[in-house]
Amino acid sequence: MTACVEVRGLGKAYGGRTAVAGLDLDVPAGSIFGLLGPNGAGKTTTISMIAGVVTPDRGHATVAGHRVGADRGAQRVLGLCPQELALYDELSPRQNLTFFARLYGLRGGALSDAIAWALDVAGLRDRADEPVRTFSGGMKRRLNLAAAILHKPTLVILDEPTVGVDPQSRRHLFDAIRALAAAGMTVLYTSHYLEEVAELCDRVAIMDHGAIVASGTVAELIARHGKPPLLELELAGDEATLLAARALAARHGPLDGAGPVVRLPQPPALGPLIADLESAGARVVRITAQPTTLESVFLALTGHALRDA
Amino acid sequence: MITAAIKKDLQLLARDRGALVTMFLLPVVFIAVFGSIFGGGDDDARRRLAVWRDPASSRAAAVVAVLEASGVFEVIEASDAAAARRAVADERADAALILPADFDPAGGHPAELAIDLAGPAQVRLPTIGAVTAIVTRAVFPPAPGADQPVLVAATPPGIRRELAGVTGFQVTVPGNAVLFGFFLALTVGLAFLEERRAGTWRRILAAPVSRASILIGKLVPYFLIGMVQFGFLFTIGVVVFGMRIGGSVLALVALTVAVVACATSLGLAIAALGGTEKRLGSIGSVCLLVMGLLGGAMVPRVVMPPLLRAIGLAVPHSWALDGYTTLLVRDGAGLADVAPQLAALLAFATVFAAFGVWRFRWER
Repeated sequence: MTACVEVRGLGKAYGGRTAVAGLDLDVPAGSIFGLLGPNGAGKTTTISMIAGVVTPDRGHATVAGHRVGADRGAQRVLGLCPQELALYDELSPRQNLTFFARLYGLRGGALSDAIAWALDVAGLRDRADEPVRTFSGGMKRRLNLAAAILHKPTLVILDEPTVGVDPQSRRHLFDAIRALAAAGMTVLYTSHYLEEVAELCDRVAIMDHGAIVASGTVAELIARHGKPPLLELELAGDEATLLAARALAARHGPLDGAGPVVRLPQPPALGPLIADLESAGARVVRITAQPTTLESVFLALTGHALRDA
Repeated sequence: MITAAIKKDLQLLARDRGALVTMFLLPVVFIAVFGSIFGGGDDDARRRLAVWRDPASSRAAAVVAVLEASGVFEVIEASDAAAARRAVADERADAALILPADFDPAGGHPAELAIDLAGPAQVRLPTIGAVTAIVTRAVFPPAPGADQPVLVAATPPGIRRELAGVTGFQVTVPGNAVLFGFFLALTVGLAFLEERRAGTWRRILAAPVSRASILIGKLVPYFLIGMVQFGFLFTIGVVVFGMRIGGSVLALVALTVAVVACATSLGLAIAALGGTEKRLGSIGSVCLLVMGLLGGAMVPRVVMPPLLRAIGLAVPHSWALDGYTTLLVRDGAGLADVAPQLAALLAFATVFAAFGVWRFRWER
């Protein structure tokens, strides 16, 4: 698959602190690509370098064949939706969008058409002339996205685009992002909400300490880095019965839990396990399956220590 | 709870350098500057008196002896009468006492006191009074004819009458226009910070626009607002307060362009310093107030002591006000008359802009 974004040996340090350390990354054209990482992992610096906002100390990035920083070609074909609500609060959506569209050289009919389309994407056509300061967080987030796609870029970079939005606005944003990808845009998406990334993204890269520590589809990452899914059973019976049942359950895998709770890796077939437990005289009152999630992969790769950078 | 709240706010205040500067440093600067303008009673406040006496006159010698013994003036000896008058014209002395060979007040031959009679009253009146008293005492008891004047005050040739024929509004309108006009710099600096805080700066940097275009696009609106501000204030000055413009309106516009360009580029320099909005707001206000004070926007520089006048040349406000004073007061004054001020303001603007571009942090 053709790469829309190619990053090779990209590095950036601030003072003595390395933010991004020789990063290589390919974002397939037309995909929704998730970039994950704990605070201070270097995600924002990476996307800032791809967007041409920050100059790398070493390495380079290309967007749709345009080398970032060589001329303004890359910046013409990308749109950045910053983490902040990068809008002028005192202006209306139409005034905001007019300003940002003109930065991309849109004029006349093309400008009007682009604004009308972006307002539709954001679901704000009927609020287009009200001051942005009167908007809810969700409306501002939708407008933030609209301002990044006005010029119909090849690549749209979304830096945590759903912070502080209600479920309806999040759903609207997801639908809009999927529609943009379906229309051929490549989406580079960063988020702290791992379930969002799992739901939305075709491929994911996990960053830590300025480098990519894993990448692939969510299923590939889980298969490669996730612990096996757990099965949790709650049993009923007297103490001797539970003891006998636990001894039989231990034949099916490494056992965890205590007393009436039996926790063990999900077996390929549930029937023999339940039959063993019941043969010991125990009654199974609850069965819970705990699947391996992207979050468990993320924590396995980046650790549980707090990141305050 | 109250103790905790008090402690918390004291801790915050101790970290708020802007507030501390406003509360403690600014009043001291104002006290020092205003004190030295209006006379603090120390040695620096002594007026400078150039003196020439004909060696043949014993009365003149007696006057100089009393003058020196009094300690009221800093006496500057001149080589002849013309040199004494020149010292006043060149602002090396506040006045000159000339005691000719025939100095004899009782006989109708008074001394000459060369002093700008149209100059500031704070300088003129105490100087004439003190010199008169000293000369009177030196020749006392007077001979018959004691009702004769002991000296005659006269303006020496070549003196620069900066405020001659000036109405109050010809001082206060440009003074306040310059003082508040330069606050444009703070507005510009804060606008850059706000753009960064809101994240719109990153969005703009990601667009296919050159960095020079970004800076120009950001600064030009403020330059235009500054021009409108000055136009408004001068129009109010003329229409409402009857302020007279003696010189060329074209030169006035050119000077205003230079002043506003200077304020705008100072804003870029302030933006390049960065910091928080709160810190920039408080420290920037203090700096601009002090610059306005030193530049004569609150008190005309002509009444300031020489040291303060010299320090004032280091801020653009003084050049702006010198230029405005020339154009408002002097009939027929044109571009050539304010060329030094224009050059100085454009030099300030260039230095501020160069510093701003050099130190501007695009990526943070």
